Amino acid sequence: MAIRGAGVRVSTGAALFGALIVWIALLGPLITLLAHLTPASVWNALSQPDALQPLVTSVTASLVALAVIVFLGTPLAYLMARGRLPFPRVWEAGVLLPLLTPPLVIGLLLIFMVGPETPIGAALSHLNLTASNTFLALVVAEIYESVPFYVLGAMAAFATVDPALEQAAALLGDGRWRTWRRVTIPLAAPGLANALAVTWARAMGAFGAVLIIAYHPFGLPMQIWVTLQETGLSSALPYALVLLVVALPLPVAAFIWSAHARRRL
Amino acid sequence: MLVADFEVARREFSVRITLEVAPGERVALLGRSGAGKTTTVEAIAGLLRLTRGDVRLGERPLSSARHPNVDLPPGRRGVGLLRQNPGLFPHLTVLQNIGYARGVDAGDARVAAQRLGLGALLNARPRGLSGGEAQRVSLARALLSKVDLLCLDEPFNSLDRPLGLELLDLLRRELEDSATSAILVTHQLEEAQAFAHRLAILHRGQILQMGHPRELVLQPASREVAELVGYRGWLSSGSQTLALHPDRIHPVGAEAGGEISARVIQVVPQGARMELELEAEGRWRGRFRCRSDRSATVGELMWFAAPGAPIFPAAEEPGTALSGG
Repeated sequence: MAIRGAGVRVSTGAALFGALIVWIALLGPLITLLAHLTPASVWNALSQPDALQPLVTSVTASLVALAVIVFLGTPLAYLMARGRLPFPRVWEAGVLLPLLTPPLVIGLLLIFMVGPETPIGAALSHLNLTASNTFLALVVAEIYESVPFYVLGAMAAFATVDPALEQAAALLGDGRWRTWRRVTIPLAAPGLANALAVTWARAMGAFGAVLIIAYHPFGLPMQIWVTLQETGLSSALPYALVLLVVALPLPVAAFIWSAHARRRL
Repeated sequence: MLVADFEVARREFSVRITLEVAPGERVALLGRSGAGKTTTVEAIAGLLRLTRGDVRLGERPLSSARHPNVDLPPGRRGVGLLRQNPGLFPHLTVLQNIGYARGVDAGDARVAAQRLGLGALLNARPRGLSGGEAQRVSLARALLSKVDLLCLDEPFNSLDRPLGLELLDLLRRELEDSATSAILVTHQLEEAQAFAHRLAILHRGQILQMGHPRELVLQPASREVAELVGYRGWLSSGSQTLALHPDRIHPVGAEAGGEISARVIQVVPQGARMELELEAEGRWRGRFRCRSDRSATVGELMWFAAPGAPIFPAAEEPGTALSGG
């Protein structure tokens, strides 16, 4: 006898209708944005002197933040996924905390932690660095706002890799690093790509903590905010478009690639 | 020459193993689930830490409990391990899987694939392979990794039996050609006999008896060993237990001096022969089974001879053999 009534089934019509509502709700703002922009207004805004400086600032700061996050977050995520760290709950809580803390609050706390009057701030000043209102501050703020997305995503990605395969590689003569490079990373790659995509988008769009600790130099989100404050909505919109155009392609490409790569495995 | 003399602590009991495997020799570890067979080969392969003793392969120490810095990583021991899960890398093709180990060139991998009948599948991904094909790939990969000793942890148990035995036979020939030693972990006597030069019976972490497979079947040293090598009937008389093997007991006429008289309870056809279930009712008491060429009727009284059947004291000490009949 066939098993019936297991779970709720949705008819095709209802599913399409639901998808339509979701798409309108989520894409509505994007459509509105495009409707309010004319090519002339975009050109006008972006041809101002230094108009593209915020874009350069945002992209470089996000790339540096991403590099730091990947470099430190990947081994951390791997060790957490394999349960190799002592006090695993403590580590997890540490990773979740920046996710649960409102970005504005993170910004305030960062001032107290790395501001010029603090021991860390003093140590940085010995290296001629300052972690408020500098490029470094922007990178730090972006890291805090986006690192949990990467570590949690990478953890999930590593959890899908069967430890028996790593053992098989070790038995065939691979050392730990070689096993990682030849088996673990390729198998976790689709999930890592997704995690990277989300993290990139979060870092590019980081605003709350940035507003407090890295008002200068302007990245795109700050530029949008300041333009909105000073000259109004219509002059802020071209920057919003630029932010979207720059922040979105990488994640979209990563999602498409990882869906494709998963199908091969 | 593998020389292993070690102890590995486990939750219920410690696994204590003393085992030597000569170059080119194949040894089977036979025991029930949980007897410590897998623990033994994993310790030899370097996946578990020893709590006492050491493992050497030829002149090389592999691991030693006394010298914690002597602990070669699994891939540097010259010991391979083939398990029930073929452990193929899903992101690589069959050819890449076969040639995975360090220092294997693509040409060798291709030749090995042909030998194992995988020539048509070189560019396939593991996902599309059948269980038998996947195990063949795993086998080719292990053989190419140039090990001195190959440990086999019930590698073909998830396959159907004829295919499993066929692969085991293939593996035996490959090992013979390359003069590679092997340890086969199994709970099937038939597999162990077909594969190994010597058989070790493992029970609760200890090797109870070791020897030529036939010797163990003819002269089990204890009741545990007897059970594992196929003895199914246990007849008692006073403080003695007579162990009966279905293949080593046959019906005889009463006048020919049969030692065991028994009444037929059930007759079940088995292959070309009949399996009789019997209730002994003379000096020896108890139930047993016997394979016979001729059928019998339920209730019939028959006489049996069981030459050389081992007798164990009721308290399980090594037994003495019943004088031939």
